Amino acid sequence: MRPIYYVLALLAGAALSFEGAIYAELGKTIGQVETSFYNFAAGSIIVGLLWLFFGKGEMMQIRRAPKWSLIGGLLGVVYLTSIVISVPFVGVGVTMVAVILGQMVMSMVIEHFGWLGSEPTKVNKEKIFAVAAMAVALLLIN
Amino acid sequence: MGSFMILFTLLGGITLSAQSSINGTLSRKAGSLETTLLTFITGTLFLALYLLFFGNGHLGALFQAPKWQLSAAFLGTIYLLLTVIAVPKIGVIAANISGIAGQLVAGILIDHFGWFNSLEIHLDGKRILALGFMAVSLYLIYLGNKRSAAEKAKVAV
Repeated sequence: MRPIYYVLALLAGAALSFEGAIYAELGKTIGQVETSFYNFAAGSIIVGLLWLFFGKGEMMQIRRAPKWSLIGGLLGVVYLTSIVISVPFVGVGVTMVAVILGQMVMSMVIEHFGWLGSEPTKVNKEKIFAVAAMAVALLLIN
Repeated sequence: MGSFMILFTLLGGITLSAQSSINGTLSRKAGSLETTLLTFITGTLFLALYLLFFGNGHLGALFQAPKWQLSAAFLGTIYLLLTVIAVPKIGVIAANISGIAGQLVAGILIDHFGWFNSLEIHLDGKRILALGFMAVSLYLIYLGNKRSAAEKAKVAV
């Protein structure tokens, strides 16, 4: 039964690559920032509907949360726009390896220092070699 | 131009990882669907403001664009839903690593076949070697995260 959940997780990741490739195409006709806008507007509608029917949390907690914890949307905009701009120039493969390398390095730093409300987790040598191997992969694929 | 794009995309990865830490903190209080909705709404608001002043594309052409291109909006949601289903069954570490593997392999396949009219970049010896390094990297993250988790468990005891 368990292998099916690994397959679902693999497909989840694959969905992100397909998203990048398709939005790159849309970006060529309507513009890159416009494509990013479309993604966030359509996402608001889809997740808004899901929230109406399945939301179990407390929306009002957002009013009480520290203001820095509300900028996730702005950060997401930088991510999505960078993908829409980059894919037509270097392809989906290079784009995804670069995104993942950026994520790996930054998560390691954030968790090491326990920034942004994360639980502090020390960097270890496995993680450093993992970053090095991914950097080699980026150089080879480019 | 290519190397500049790669630096820009690295920055995208950096902001994405900051986003997941920030959203993780918020979702413990407000709930994950609520946090995701907030992310999409604030992103829409920022972009709407930007487009009002600096937009030079053709937002109206959205309605003439082929529907398969618009359907990409559902892929982000599919990612979230599949992850939410997988995490409780196989754990956060395995779900994240499997997700990354799927993303990398799909990216290489899209390039190879030129799907969605994208840049066609064929799988060659260098790219196969790169896939090997990616696999090694993912295995090392798995080991590193497992060790961190074990050390934390020891502290908790």
